[in-house]
Amino acid sequence: MKKFLKHPEPNESDLKGPHYWRSLDELAETDGFKEYLHREFPEGASEIEGVNRRQFMKVMSASFAFAGVGLTGCRRPEKYVMPYSKQPEEIIHGKPLYYASAMPHRNDPVPLVAETHEGRPTKLEGNSLLKGSNGSTDQFAQAAILDLYDPDRSKKTVQEGRTLSEAQRTDYLVSVSKKYAENGGEGLAFLAEGIPSVTRAAQLKQLRAKLPKAIWAEYDAIDTSNPDKAAAKVLGKSVRPVYDFSKAERVLSLEADFLYEDPNHLQYTRDFSKARRVEDDHASMNRLYAAESYYSITGGMADHRLRIASGDIPAFTALVAAAILEHSNESAPPDAIEALKSAGQGLDVDPHWIDECAKDLVEHSGHALVVAGPHQPEIVHVLTIAMNDVLQAQGSTVNYLAIPENTALSISDLAQSIEQSQVKTLVVLGGNPVYNAPADLKWAEVQDKIDEVVRLSEYFDETSEKSDCHINAAHFLESWGDAVAFDGTVLAIQPMILPLFQGLTECEVLEMIVNGEAKEGYSIVLDAVTGTLGGDAKAFEKFLHDGFWAGTAKSPVSVSLNRRAAGNILSSSGIAAQNLSASNLELRFIADPSLDDGRFNNNGWLQECPDPVTKLTWDNAFLVSPKFGEELGIVSGNTLVKVVSKNPNAHKRGKEQGHIIEVSVGGKTLKGPAHVQPGLPDYTIVVSLGYGREVTGRVGEGSGFSAYSLRTSTGASSISGVTARTVGGIQQLADTQEHWSMEGRAIMREANLDFYEEHSDFVDHMGMESHSPPILGLDEQGGNRRDTVPLQETILAGKENRGNSLYETPKFTGDHQWGMSIDLNTCTGCNACVIACQSENNIPVVGREQVLRGREMHWIRLDRYYSAGPGKDTNEIPANPQVSIQPMTCQHCENAPCESVCPVNATVHDEEGLNVMAYNRCVGTRYCANNCPYKVRRFNFFDWNDREMDRVYEGPLAPRGMDELKKMSKNPEVSVRMRGVMEKCTYCVQRIQAAKIDRKVAARDSGDIKVPDGTIKTACQQVCPAEAIEFGDLSDPHSRVSKLKESNRDYGVLAYLNTRPRTTYLAKLRNPNPLMPDYYDNPLSHMEYNEASGHAEGHGESHADAEHATEDSGHNGH
Amino acid sequence: MSTIFPKEANKAPIQIVIALLIVGATVTAGFTYYLTPKYARVGYQPIQPVPFEHSLHAGELGIDCRYCHSQVEKSGHSNVPSTNTCMNCHNQVQILSEKLQPVRDSFASGEPIPWVQIHKMPDYVYFNHSVHVNRGVSCFECHGQINEMDVVRHEKPLSMAFCLECHRNPEEKLRPLDQVFNLDWRPESKEAQLKDGNLMKEHWKVNPPTSCSGCHR
Repeated sequence: MKKFLKHPEPNESDLKGPHYWRSLDELAETDGFKEYLHREFPEGASEIEGVNRRQFMKVMSASFAFAGVGLTGCRRPEKYVMPYSKQPEEIIHGKPLYYASAMPHRNDPVPLVAETHEGRPTKLEGNSLLKGSNGSTDQFAQAAILDLYDPDRSKKTVQEGRTLSEAQRTDYLVSVSKKYAENGGEGLAFLAEGIPSVTRAAQLKQLRAKLPKAIWAEYDAIDTSNPDKAAAKVLGKSVRPVYDFSKAERVLSLEADFLYEDPNHLQYTRDFSKARRVEDDHASMNRLYAAESYYSITGGMADHRLRIASGDIPAFTALVAAAILEHSNESAPPDAIEALKSAGQGLDVDPHWIDECAKDLVEHSGHALVVAGPHQPEIVHVLTIAMNDVLQAQGSTVNYLAIPENTALSISDLAQSIEQSQVKTLVVLGGNPVYNAPADLKWAEVQDKIDEVVRLSEYFDETSEKSDCHINAAHFLESWGDAVAFDGTVLAIQPMILPLFQGLTECEVLEMIVNGEAKEGYSIVLDAVTGTLGGDAKAFEKFLHDGFWAGTAKSPVSVSLNRRAAGNILSSSGIAAQNLSASNLELRFIADPSLDDGRFNNNGWLQECPDPVTKLTWDNAFLVSPKFGEELGIVSGNTLVKVVSKNPNAHKRGKEQGHIIEVSVGGKTLKGPAHVQPGLPDYTIVVSLGYGREVTGRVGEGSGFSAYSLRTSTGASSISGVTARTVGGIQQLADTQEHWSMEGRAIMREANLDFYEEHSDFVDHMGMESHSPPILGLDEQGGNRRDTVPLQETILAGKENRGNSLYETPKFTGDHQWGMSIDLNTCTGCNACVIACQSENNIPVVGREQVLRGREMHWIRLDRYYSAGPGKDTNEIPANPQVSIQPMTCQHCENAPCESVCPVNATVHDEEGLNVMAYNRCVGTRYCANNCPYKVRRFNFFDWNDREMDRVYEGPLAPRGMDELKKMSKNPEVSVRMRGVMEKCTYCVQRIQAAKIDRKVAARDSGDIKVPDGTIKTACQQVCPAEAIEFGDLSDPHSRVSKLKESNRDYGVLAYLNTRPRTTYLAKLRNPNPLMPDYYDNPLSHMEYNEASGHAEGHGESHADAEHATEDSGHNGH
Repeated sequence: MSTIFPKEANKAPIQIVIALLIVGATVTAGFTYYLTPKYARVGYQPIQPVPFEHSLHAGELGIDCRYCHSQVEKSGHSNVPSTNTCMNCHNQVQILSEKLQPVRDSFASGEPIPWVQIHKMPDYVYFNHSVHVNRGVSCFECHGQINEMDVVRHEKPLSMAFCLECHRNPEEKLRPLDQVFNLDWRPESKEAQLKDGNLMKEHWKVNPPTSCSGCHR
């Protein structure tokens, strides 16, 4: 028998007292040391102020000496491994689990798949099983994870200042129920957000049966119901127009922001980009006309953009409708055309614009589409339906889906009932009416008139403050529920985690009030969903697994336009052109691109996410046109410098100086900083909602001003008769991009479609590399190397040296060679990638003050350039420039300039072509950031993760440590960086490694270790609704990214520096109509480039030396 | 000169030299002792809340590593077994043992057993068990002869140099997949190991990363 030693029994002193490994800790904790530390060090620290060097040296050397004796930093702290007592079945420690869910958001919920680590959701992705959004998400859904772990969320139920326990809360709600059970709900009212769901519908049915006299009202600050209402009126059925942009070759947008703000934008973006994407051998793309006031994402994508006041859109629509009727083959009644024309009379728009646009649409009947913004009045939608009818869009680009009629009352109706004292108890489910109800309702006063207001909300906000009982709500990631998607598909909402603060969901509250008993969310939803849709528990399980109930999407119904009804609506609509002037301005309200209607006010990721066009963070501003800015005196009109390349918004040391202006309408005034925004109609001021919250969390506190105070029921989207004046004073605005122009460099390469058809290699004839010795892409003869020798056979095979660099470049011997391709033609600039990256890579929020200093940490940014064309660079700020957006992130240069300057080899290349960053090696010299031509490296100036945002400047003894809740939102696969290290895009190396490891684990003793194409998606790629980003293995010539890089539109940014970026771009194309009055034979940025670089049209011939000199000086300027 | 310096001053140079030597030696010894990975790692043998003996379970009884560390082939983390794994046997065996009281308590209460962590990687190192054990790297290479340890101790330094040694020359450590969990397996000779190792490396395309991105993210 084998002899083995007895295990040494731990004695009492071993377990309790200090033992060997802790002995020096004990030393460190001796009273003498403690006393010294507590007394001397703080004292010494405070004395440093007086520049007493001697004292400083004394204190520091003493503290170092003591630190040395204690060696506390070297001690190994005892850590514990805490396994489960009883192992749950599915959980494999270290492997994430994925569950389907959905984010409710008005009538446009986002289907999601949540990644959970040991029961803690950390990342949300789109549900790719659903055809519409097909796995894409938007910035709001990405940022929802931060809301879940927001320490400022409401944590308790408070009734009249008294905190209620869970049981008391239930008793209270049941008592409300009992009060109204007798009288059929008389005096009981509900105000909810318009979030359609099967569960809510079922509960409403019960409510109407049990409490028939109760009032149910719905209110959304951003109302999107006008298209449905208009369709019901002229199509005779309750239907909703749903568009198919993949079939639309010609699109006219009437202030619709279907790529960003409007419902169903994820599907629309995906479809739109399908019709916009250009392959080498298939050069056809859609054409987008946009008429709008605000410079939206959709407007930025437009081939022809008309800036027009929001209130003039109805008149404009009438004129377009008249022109379409005229040009169509249909024998349109002349009086209809007349009526439309007279409605649009007096509108100051180039008639050729309307005429040619209409002609183009009519020529593409069956493949043309007119879309109107949901905020526009019903008449615009009626005319839109009529135009689409003439354009034979039904069944092709437009489908009408049957939707249930909404019988909910409006908030105005509810306010009226309250005024008539018909409401004794009001239950406010979500929303925030005190903050965002129309100003003319004076909701705060109305709400005060009610005896008892019960509020369910995730945050204790303005409405909660004015309520008698505030109930903390569960986040949707803690809730059971369902949501009905825009096309009618029923989506599952299931909890990823138990409510962190014991919050309740809407359905649980309703259940208690309607049926008088507490029931679990799960059984409420199970009963409602299976009761409505049929099916058993098994079907419900599948529903939860897939995230949606298959076959619930509505199929199109055939409808026909009631022309007489449409005519009646037109004649009673009273459309008229507004005559705007400096004394009769228009104020246009938009949902904030980052904060929506204010619900995301306390979300640091979204607050810090730059507005897609203005690039403002943390604040809103009154956006004014350059012309009106000049009239206000905040833009200096006549300067000697070229204003085109300067930002008219005054910057002092990189900080935008926003002049405070005062805007007045209807006797009310509002002050705020102005930001000059080109592309706006001259006399329209645009302001975004969602800021200026009074009762919010620590993040949202003090950001911006609330424009709701000027917004009325009738002027919810825009209001005229506004005046504005400067009142003196400056507010610094934190914008992330003060520079507007490319200064004639070929950073962003664009061409028109027809130019591209003739010059398919135009990208190779732009930029310095078209002159430089053969580097990327060109061989000695100046020909395109990509055409002759595939990349895989030369450089990647190690047969050829990379770019004759003096710096020893690594051999790319890895099994894969990673690369990325970004299609500038489909990228809309929606910011979803910015937030997705932030969520995936644990990127910290730095706060307004640090953004002002240019210390934002985003690994991917969207550069927005304006171009106004040649000849405009005199001293006028362009009124209507083109916008080009370019995602910019680490380019993973093969000859990386950052690597050669790092003194500690903290940034080096790996075998697979990644430019990697070893945080623990970085000493923070910031040489790399200085040497990076793309400016994509980010430095941790402070311990963003370890300090509260407002305490970063405090000394070493200030409180530190991350909130336990915030810790839970971090991705465990990515290091959380500390102060003093550099960071940047890693191509999501954690995802790459995970995929490689999975492949190797599966391969075992075979050599099948190549990761199949498409397995790895970077966070930015996965989220992208436009599918503009492709990532993959360049060593595989058949991978999608390799194919894209073979495209003749492929180019590297600043490739003449011989950086050999692994991220390359596909040039942007525009598709303007040659017959249009605002036709441009080249994108304005291309023209600017040609002019600044001295390139004539038809570039490609030999150049004079002088031209090179011009270009060189252009580059030296920066 | 004697008027300026007292006689004792003659000893000063030698005293200074000796003092410097002592200081130097202390500093060197201190650094070697306290600040090298060996101190912080190798030999660490904390006392566990339950005196579990690997030598008995894995050695004498011959229980496979994967009976308890069941997820080592699937996950980056090799799990410390949950209490119910212990109770699979110990509801029949040694049911009255005092040493097992914490296990029974944990099973009854649902509270985890606070095992003291021995092998700890820095937070910025992302080591993955599954990819190693599935590709011919045995537990033995990093954990040593666990099946003969009564109390588990930190056997190998697990420093970056230690990792890189193998990542640069994997053929020295690779073994047939069916021997990965056999901690007593030894190659016939160094030459045989190199011959087989090279064959495996070639056929399995073992190309371990040696750059930062392999382990640091």
